[in-house]
Amino acid sequence: MIRPRQRAGLPDWLVIARRELLERLRTPWFIIVTLLGPVLMTALIVVPVVLGRVGDQTARVQIVDHSGTLGEPLRLALTAEKWRAELVPPDTDEKELRRRIADDRIDGFLVVPAEAPAAGSFVYKGDNASAEHIMRSLNRVIYGVVLSTRGAALDLPEDKVKALLAPVDFTTRHTTGEDEGSSGLATFLVGYVVMFVLYLSIVLYAANVLRSVVQEKTNRVVEIMVAASKPRALMLGKILGVGGVGLIQVTVWAVMGVVTINQRGALLGMFGVDAGGWSVPPMHAIDVVVILTYFLLGYFFYAAIFAAIGAMVSSEQEAQQAQTPVMMILIIPMLCVQLVANDPRGGVAEFLTQLPFSSAILMPMRWSLGGASTVSLVVSIAILAGSTYVMARLAARIYRVGILMYGKRPSLRELARWLRY
Amino acid sequence: MLAVRVEGISKRFGNHVAVDDVSFEVPEGVIYGVLGPNGAGKSTTLRMINDIIAPDRGHVELLGGLKPGAEAAPHVGFLPEERGLYPKMRVLEMIAFMGELRGLTGRDARRRAEAWLERLGLSQWRRNKVQDLSKGMQQKVQFASAMIHEPELIILDEPWSGLDPINADVLRDVVREQKAAGRTVLFSTHLMEQAEQICEHIFIIARGRKVLDGKLADIRRAAAAEGRVALAFGSPADRERAAPVLADPALCAASRAAAPGDHADLELDLAAGVHAQRLLAALVGAAVAVRRFEVVTPTLHQIFVDRVGRDAAAIAARQPGDGAGEAA
Repeated sequence: MIRPRQRAGLPDWLVIARRELLERLRTPWFIIVTLLGPVLMTALIVVPVVLGRVGDQTARVQIVDHSGTLGEPLRLALTAEKWRAELVPPDTDEKELRRRIADDRIDGFLVVPAEAPAAGSFVYKGDNASAEHIMRSLNRVIYGVVLSTRGAALDLPEDKVKALLAPVDFTTRHTTGEDEGSSGLATFLVGYVVMFVLYLSIVLYAANVLRSVVQEKTNRVVEIMVAASKPRALMLGKILGVGGVGLIQVTVWAVMGVVTINQRGALLGMFGVDAGGWSVPPMHAIDVVVILTYFLLGYFFYAAIFAAIGAMVSSEQEAQQAQTPVMMILIIPMLCVQLVANDPRGGVAEFLTQLPFSSAILMPMRWSLGGASTVSLVVSIAILAGSTYVMARLAARIYRVGILMYGKRPSLRELARWLRY
Repeated sequence: MLAVRVEGISKRFGNHVAVDDVSFEVPEGVIYGVLGPNGAGKSTTLRMINDIIAPDRGHVELLGGLKPGAEAAPHVGFLPEERGLYPKMRVLEMIAFMGELRGLTGRDARRRAEAWLERLGLSQWRRNKVQDLSKGMQQKVQFASAMIHEPELIILDEPWSGLDPINADVLRDVVREQKAAGRTVLFSTHLMEQAEQICEHIFIIARGRKVLDGKLADIRRAAAAEGRVALAFGSPADRERAAPVLADPALCAASRAAAPGDHADLELDLAAGVHAQRLLAALVGAAVAVRRFEVVTPTLHQIFVDRVGRDAAAIAARQPGDGAGEAA
């Protein structure tokens, strides 16, 4: 018997992981997505808002006044807001008004009820009724006119009505008792962004494992790889390598996010926005650790599932089909975001953040909302880590048999047999 | 020391027996060919030797006692039948990567990869992506990938399929060099001409079973001794005079027209135990003028067709109505 050779170099799984990592890091796409990802994501949120602002702020409306008193004040108030408003006779046919909308001569018409201002319902019909900010300013104008008319009926002088109508400042602060609280909206946004980034990166990278397994199968390089190494090392190396790329990307994004939040005053100032009212929840080191922990565990959990699916199929088309159930499961936490955000300390949130299928995506959000106790966090991590371990073991068995099988997809019975091998 | 010892391995896929109780031994430092028709079980056997699939029964020992798998991997190079490369990797990196996978250090792997590219005439392609190479060039990269760690045992599954004659020669030279360096080369093929040119030992497998194995020279000698004679007559009259001799079942088992271009009139099989000398004496005794009388050493191709054909017939006779094997 010859003397067994010792490996002089790195262990095989590490060699494989390094190859997977470098292959992805070297593509221009990685650099573009990593650097521009946050920019694009911000743009996704900001652009629609900005476009909404620069779009139509006003409208051409006709007022059908059945009350006989409110029409003119409304017209004046709307004109003051730079709307083009005109009164039409109260007996104008609605069909005729709708035709004017259809011909684009007006955007819509407002019907003032006969009972106004005491009662009755104002009705607006128009092609811009879905534009939220326009409807809000219309509502404000109607409200103001009705209130001052009611005030006049009660003999209140105009300055007193103005005093009554002066805006009330209302501030919300999110807190779970540990600190003074931060802006409710900002807290939700941060939690939401954390959730979204986790969801996106887990889906992107875990699905990338699937695609890469299928590609190795279809171009048969897997045969050479299995000849030189073991399927277990192949799967481990691939998951680690792809995960490493994801970790680098998420870390870059997290750093960019923290810098953005800490420097938000300066950044918002550049766009001429006052950041005064925006107190964003403070990001602690522990939060970043929680985010990265859940990214890694969630990624491993789903990557193992996707690797097994990749091993079961023989073509990209088949892979698309086979991965659908997992993609559906991944969407469930997205649909449950509001449940966690509305009541981070409630039973539903607790359940969803302990369940391994959704905890990776929802727990960091719940944690950043302050809804999770440390015990609940530790238990959730333990459950997810345990499930990931079991899932990886099962996936490795399927992978080992599957990667060398071509043709027909295994039935559930065959799959059960693979697991017992 | 034996390079490979295979003992009674069997493998069944569903109800199809791919390999049925196969045993053979490959001595160290030889070129050993596993020959068989398509679907005979060659690839399955080689895969079991490389621990890519586990045999249902039997066992395999490599290089004097190593278990296939992790223990033997640094000593074995395997080129699978279905093979691919990472299309986006650079040629040099691809080969070096396979070396590192087999346990070489990064620097060592690169150095040897450079040497292999030089040897195979691919140096100017070293920085190109694998996908830029032609199929034949990719195949050479695959050979280099299988041998970069200088394994004591090299196993090649159908290495010549898809190679043009020039590259086939290159590969044959590489195989001979490996043997000259003291390494063992085990390969499978259905191309008898290739096997005949470089094999010292062969193993013929058909329908999952061993048909024949041994030294190629011995096998050919034995096949020649079985008595096949090529015959050319002086004239048509001689042929007529020879007819009664050739019809004697004590001398001749069978006769047939010689292959065209063979410059013989007849090719015949001697009856069992009959030496060619006796046939010649009988012909001379019958006053037959013989222009050519030759004991034919059969080509590997002929031996293969003879034995595999006969074996298949025997199996069919033993298992009437068992068609399950062919279905898969």
